[in-house]
Amino acid sequence: MDIPAGRTLFKKKEGILTLTPDQKTVTWTPNSGGPATVSLPVANITSLQQTPDSSPKVMLKIVETASEGADPVAYLFHFNTSEAKSEAQAVKDLLSRIFVELRSNDPSIPRPAVSGTGTPSAQNGQASKGGTPASMALGSTTTPQPAAAHWFDDNHLKNDIELQMSLMKKDKSLHRTYMEAMSTKPDSISSAAFNTQFWSTRINLLRSHGIEKHQKKGAYNVLSTVKPRTVDGELKLNISLEQVQMIFAQHPLVKRIYNENVPKLSEAQFWSRFFLSRLSKKLRGERVTDSDPPDALFDKFDANDNTQAIQSKIMAQSVPHIIDIEGNEENQGGVKSGNAKDVEMRPRANIPIVKTLNSLSEKIMANVAPSDTIDDTNVSGYSYGQLALRDLRGDEKENRIILNVTEQTQFFSKREAVPSANAQAFAKQNPMDVLFEIQGDLETLDDDGAGGIDIHATIGYNEDSESDEEESANRARRPHVGSRSVIRAAEKEILQGISQQRSQKYGHAGDSTTPMGLSSHLAEKCALTHATTIEFLHQFWTAFLSGDPDRAAELQYLAESLTNSAARISAVADEATQERDETIKRRKQEIREHYERTGKKIRWKADMVGGGRDAVLKLMQPTLDALEKAKADYARALAAEGIKTTTEN
Amino acid sequence: MDAVDVSDHYEVTTSEETPSLLSIVLDTNPRAWAALGNVLPLSKAIANILVFVNAHLAFSNSNQVAIIAAHVNRAVWLYPSPPTAKKPTDTSGDVQMQDASTSAPPGSANKFPQFAQIEAAVLASVRKLTDETTGEDLETTTTQLSGALTLALCHIHKASQQLSAAGTNLEDHTKSSAATNPMKGRILVISVSDSEPAQYIPTMNAVFAAAHSQIAIDTLSLSGDSTFLQQACFNTNGTFLAASNPQGLLTYLMFGLIADTEARQSLIPATHDKVDFRAACFCHGKVVDTGFICSICLSIFCEVPENTECLTCGTKLALGNYGAKPAVIPRKKKKKKKIVNGTVREDTGSGAGTPRA
Repeated sequence: MDIPAGRTLFKKKEGILTLTPDQKTVTWTPNSGGPATVSLPVANITSLQQTPDSSPKVMLKIVETASEGADPVAYLFHFNTSEAKSEAQAVKDLLSRIFVELRSNDPSIPRPAVSGTGTPSAQNGQASKGGTPASMALGSTTTPQPAAAHWFDDNHLKNDIELQMSLMKKDKSLHRTYMEAMSTKPDSISSAAFNTQFWSTRINLLRSHGIEKHQKKGAYNVLSTVKPRTVDGELKLNISLEQVQMIFAQHPLVKRIYNENVPKLSEAQFWSRFFLSRLSKKLRGERVTDSDPPDALFDKFDANDNTQAIQSKIMAQSVPHIIDIEGNEENQGGVKSGNAKDVEMRPRANIPIVKTLNSLSEKIMANVAPSDTIDDTNVSGYSYGQLALRDLRGDEKENRIILNVTEQTQFFSKREAVPSANAQAFAKQNPMDVLFEIQGDLETLDDDGAGGIDIHATIGYNEDSESDEEESANRARRPHVGSRSVIRAAEKEILQGISQQRSQKYGHAGDSTTPMGLSSHLAEKCALTHATTIEFLHQFWTAFLSGDPDRAAELQYLAESLTNSAARISAVADEATQERDETIKRRKQEIREHYERTGKKIRWKADMVGGGRDAVLKLMQPTLDALEKAKADYARALAAEGIKTTTEN
Repeated sequence: MDAVDVSDHYEVTTSEETPSLLSIVLDTNPRAWAALGNVLPLSKAIANILVFVNAHLAFSNSNQVAIIAAHVNRAVWLYPSPPTAKKPTDTSGDVQMQDASTSAPPGSANKFPQFAQIEAAVLASVRKLTDETTGEDLETTTTQLSGALTLALCHIHKASQQLSAAGTNLEDHTKSSAATNPMKGRILVISVSDSEPAQYIPTMNAVFAAAHSQIAIDTLSLSGDSTFLQQACFNTNGTFLAASNPQGLLTYLMFGLIADTEARQSLIPATHDKVDFRAACFCHGKVVDTGFICSICLSIFCEVPENTECLTCGTKLALGNYGAKPAVIPRKKKKKKKIVNGTVREDTGSGAGTPRA
């Protein structure tokens, strides 16, 4: 077989992408001569991606993982000639075929158990034909579907680019964060390293997405979903290949009739006649009425054949004696007593639906691989345990974790807290003086002349006082309890609290899209910058707290990215200022025009325009603080190190 | 026919009015009041609080009040007075004749008898409390708040029990059982001192009990740093006010804290939005913002306890990635790292000749 070759650009150099004659290695040889600069063993290729057909550029991306656990390295080949498409296709087809063959023979990759028919080779054939359709979009790879065990392997998830792409396709905001962070990351971090970092904090998302993607709908009662419709006296039937297959699986009788008749009868005719026949009604469990036209082909068959056949299959399975009720009957000589069976258990001809549904459910279940296989030898013991009458036993011993709570007061014996301002003030006090003072103070309460106190006088509120004169009188000494000035101050404080709470509860008008007067475009930018910054902070702290010396270099880059993040925030702030200035300028212009036109002045102040640097900084202040803290911690660790290294040297 | 009548509407609203019980916990820490004496003496504060209490009682005949002093070494009932040996007092807050008759026989004609009653009881109890306080009691500088909170909770519970039991006639009974609480209870803490870390556990227990029975804890902090009360207010949907002008005490009380739990639903509270959520660690009583938590009993530790065994429940704790290298050890690890780092930096610095941030 010919080995295809593609004229490609790799790292902006022209060259030929091809495979070695033994088809074990992919090579890329520059046109400038010399040996192949890229040589990838096919066995190490973990994924293969191609740009979609619609894309003007034709590129092939080969991801190689040199060894287990190593970072995958991506090679991007750009097919730049006029026959780019066909060349790329040829290379890719060959590669993916080799790839699939390789994978299917690889015993280390767990595969889902192949059930029933279909030899592995047939499957491979299918995979190589159907698995790499020409319209393969960038992002869909030829990686065989990983088996369940892979969902629990963090490394695998981290490297599964297909899965990541599909997750980002689903989660737009994640995609934006990813793209933004990717484009603004410091150049010193490689894309692969960044990728690993980014996804390592989102393994759980990947896992759940992967599992979700791989869940399939099980078999269902397919006949009930096919509803032939009569349009203009003509029967319309919409039936897919899958449905046909499922009908055959669930109703062996239909399969038999199909096999016997279809070459003679056209397929369309077969199905339309079937869905009108009495048999199909019976199989669905519907009532057959005399008005239904009989069909010579179908109605000679008894629907019970279908049911019976499959039931016998289920009955053929060995039933453990301990739960075999029929066996019990046999053992005791059967039920011959006068007690009739329950009404639901008695055979009735005219209620087919129950029977049909039962038999259908049994059939569906019979086709599902059992998930709870129990070792046959243990089965009777297991069943025996299941059947045991547990409520006849005595109370079980409570199996709880005992919480031994030790006396809590003793914990605080070794307190070493720094005394607060209050505590320091208290330390200076003489207890006896304090007591005397308090007791004396209590005696000062004004007597109302009748054994009580004169509250009115004590609260010190003077209704007649005019605040102004009182203030001038009080300027010298501190305001007394209940004076106008303190009441006003207290009122102000409470009102502040109320307005604060109010805005928290109801928000300001139009706040959600344009916070603090920022335009929605800038607000969005702030949100994105924030998300990116948090991402970098996250990565920084994971590396910083890991205490892993191997990640030190990475940490340095991440610290650098924090500095960049701060710069990005200020860039957004600058943009906001610019926008605000323009708004002000425009408004001034409008006012001037209005004045020239009408001779009226509009009262307006520049302060009325929101947004600008202040607004952005106010929004981003917590983020900036977080950046500062991270940088300071890093600097401190560095400084501590600096001292250390100098003493060591 | 009746339903069309307007009076029906009024009837419904009046019958649904549930009594409101206000329990005031007054922090009577003598040291704190002495320190605050220049600004707001205790005597004036009590007078102001009495005005507030009267206002609360004036709202409705069925409203009740309880005042408890949280002292440095104990919690004391100020009103209603604790039962004497001779006569069991009525804890529902009804008029107590013997107090009034012994202390002030005639009473002022200008004062509503119940107000005079409360006033007399409170003053007598406060004076008694200060007289009983000895210099040794002042060795402890912080207030025993949790005891007072617990007393207030018990009182509210008891009062609401009595109220639901008192509804003997059928109509009343169905009404009280229909409502979740026969009484709107709330606790107002007037705090002048710091939160004592040692009181964290009992205080928070009281707070959770209050939250469970839908009792709001309000706080007016006149001085000091009442961290736990901030959390208490937050957890129970109460109002937290830190008064920067303690002289305006009455304004804070009347303006910010007069609304009971029902009225509050239609009002915007003046509560401060800053809440210090830090907890005190169980091992040293330090207030911490980052710490370790036992996965079994949720005890908080500021550092990994000895032998990584939880001090409270004795569970052997396994430390994750982070805990394996607590705050100090990563630094030690970093030493190695930084050496690597340093060399890298030097290399790049000298090789490329570009300055690095």
